[in-house]
Amino acid sequence: MDLAYTTEQQAFRAEVRAWMEANVPQEPLVTLEREDGYHQHVEWERKLASGNWGMVTWPEAYGGRGLDLIQWLIFEEEYYRAGAPLRVNQNGIFLLGPTVMEFGTDEQKARFLTPMAKGEVIWAQAWSEPNAGSDMAAITTKAIRDGDHYVITGQKTWSSRASFADWGFGLFRTDPDSKRHKGLSFILFDLNSPGVTRRPIRQLHGDPGFAELFFDEVRVPVENRIAGEGEGWNVAMATAGFERGLMLRSPARFQAAAERLVKLFRQHEAKAAPAAREQVMQAWMDAQAYAYNTYAVASKIMAGGHIGAEASLNKIFWSELDRAAHRTAMQILGASAELRYLDGGALNTWLEGYIFSLSGPIYAGSNEIQRNIIAERLLGLPR
Amino acid sequence: MDFTITEDQATLTGGVRDYLAGVHAPELLRALDASDSRRSADVWQGLTEMGLPGLLVPEAQGGLGLSLLDAVLIAAELGRAGVAEPLADTALVAAPLLSKVGGQEALLAAIAAGEAKVALQHPVNPWVADLDGASHLLSVEDGALLVAEHSGGTDLLDSVDPLRRLYVPIAPSGTAVGSADALLDHAALIAAAQLVGLADAMLEQATDYAKNRSQFGQPIGSFQAVKHHLATAVVKIEFAKPVIQRAAVALQEGAASAPVHVSHAKLAASDAAWAMSETAIQTHGAMGYTYEVDLHFWMKRAWALSGAWGDRAFHLSRIDAAVLGGALPIGPGHSFA
Ligand SMILES: Cc1cc2nc3c(=O)[nH]c(=O)nc-3n(C[C@H](O)[C@H](O)[C@H](O)COP(=O)(O)OP(=O)(O)OC[C@H]3O[C@@H](n4cnc5c(N)ncnc54)[C@H](O)[C@@H]3O)c2cc1C
Repeated sequence: MDLAYTTEQQAFRAEVRAWMEANVPQEPLVTLEREDGYHQHVEWERKLASGNWGMVTWPEAYGGRGLDLIQWLIFEEEYYRAGAPLRVNQNGIFLLGPTVMEFGTDEQKARFLTPMAKGEVIWAQAWSEPNAGSDMAAITTKAIRDGDHYVITGQKTWSSRASFADWGFGLFRTDPDSKRHKGLSFILFDLNSPGVTRRPIRQLHGDPGFAELFFDEVRVPVENRIAGEGEGWNVAMATAGFERGLMLRSPARFQAAAERLVKLFRQHEAKAAPAAREQVMQAWMDAQAYAYNTYAVASKIMAGGHIGAEASLNKIFWSELDRAAHRTAMQILGASAELRYLDGGALNTWLEGYIFSLSGPIYAGSNEIQRNIIAERLLGLPR
Repeated sequence: MDFTITEDQATLTGGVRDYLAGVHAPELLRALDASDSRRSADVWQGLTEMGLPGLLVPEAQGGLGLSLLDAVLIAAELGRAGVAEPLADTALVAAPLLSKVGGQEALLAAIAAGEAKVALQHPVNPWVADLDGASHLLSVEDGALLVAEHSGGTDLLDSVDPLRRLYVPIAPSGTAVGSADALLDHAALIAAAQLVGLADAMLEQATDYAKNRSQFGQPIGSFQAVKHHLATAVVKIEFAKPVIQRAAVALQEGAASAPVHVSHAKLAASDAAWAMSETAIQTHGAMGYTYEVDLHFWMKRAWALSGAWGDRAFHLSRIDAAVLGGALPIGPGHSFA
């Protein structure tokens, strides 16, 4: 164990910092949950790609820099330090990307990864259905083989950014007689295909970022399937692992929130409730603990290990610390917490953040489901 | 930047764990509890033969010359096995402090040989553990750490932990060997590491119990309420571990920020152990409320170590000064500096 950064790592940090300082937009972007903000974020995604920062851990052949996970963590720290915008393509780069890297053919890698890293194609994830949320194996949307195409019919829901995104990836029932985890395939589709209808859904904050998707005999070429027909469940589980585990929520995001929370507390110290003081310290401690843990997991993976059910520990920890930190901020703001714009007209990002933090324990597999996984797979308790 | 535990460390820790599981099983704790002294020359002898007192003693003085990072891994094993002999204080706290100041070769060699036992007396603790059987005492006067030979005890107090031996402090004396703060930080770190070991042991006991106890015709561990209690505790325990390692590295390197990281570690470990103890007793039902299951030994040690070497208020006050007071740089990019 050696917690010092190498000279190379320090030089890399300096390089990222310089680029971010020169390129991060001065004005905060409009939320990516709205169409105008979505397009601003796509612009930013392309700008990042122009500096070759689209996805630093990917091989150079696919628009990456071939960097290791520690360098990725350094990149993320500088990204959040600079206050750079959220990644509109996170479903693509953090979930689908690693999945294609692991399960895709060379042709699929060439076709999908580079445009993803360049921000040319923005991806949505289409797993959930009205009757298949936590119970994802209950999905019924069918993809029936017709020659060299699948014909998709059914409905998906809660698909983040699908209101505006370009492509989607999801699980479909390719064997109509199959049950549960069997007979599912992992298929990529163009959201602009004939037969796809998107119905944006207004979320808690009022903006229509995610959508219901209706498929009416949508034809998708067979070569858009990742891995074998009927092997979709295993592929999806690997993707879910990425989502809960290392990549989705980089620690820097919570360290940035904890730093802002400390500043907020200092401003309001005189009137803050006594408990707030301790909660602010707890937010800092938890964000740090999450960072150490992520560095430890990254070191473990780099040494050849892999993470399994431990990803569920991560998911619970970051989602609950995020909610607690934002709740604390709301309580410190007191009567002002309900205002959408604070003094001087600035957006009340604590309110926005608190609302978003409420979804953390729900998406990426609810925390109840994660607790089941921990109990059954890590502790070996009976189902 | 590398956060991995080396293969050597894993092997050593595994070896200590297996050894203690053999010689320091719960039956031994029960036997000690039934004895007058609550201490056993045989057990100490066994631990010495395993080389445990000399882990952090430099190789030149007959020890293994390990680091504080090794020490926290071993301390967790001592917690897991519920070791009550004053091994952590002597081997994992006193030895590295004494070897750092130099000039303590004879004492270090005696520690490695299992002949010297060092009790620790610090103003943050109202009482001193194992003063009675100690050959030496580290004590504090005007912020300086003193070492002196010592024999005999004073008044024995009654701890809820049946194997803990607490005494009223005595007048400080001896030669200066460092600062009171160094003693506090080392001891708090080792207490934190023992606390996660205690928590792991309680988790294991509760999980086993949940697999074997049936109600409504099925193991209680199949009930989601029980599963979720245990899973919640696992999250707390696992996220305390890297905090302890990070603090160990900071303290080993003498980083200026080490006290903050030690306080973080102590708080995280105490929270985890405390939460785990309540979860474990709840999982055991009324059985957990008896002296007859083993759980209470671990639970009571957890209460004791949570309050010792700086309680919650003490460690929060250090975090407060650093984080809210602005002395420590925080935010992204400040994971390690
Ligand atoms: C902001 C946001 C973004 C999302 N983005 C996407 C996306 O991009 N793509 C996509 O496919 N989906 C997305 N989702 C959907 C998300 O994956 C589901 O909401 C989630 O899987 C839970 O399903 P559900 O909403 O149907 O809740 P339900 O499954 O109906 O669960 C309701 C409650 O019951 C609990 N529960 C259910 N089953 C169990 C059980 N076995 N044990 C204990 N408790 C249980 C749940 O934990 C929850 O508390 C998103 C959701 C949100 C909130």
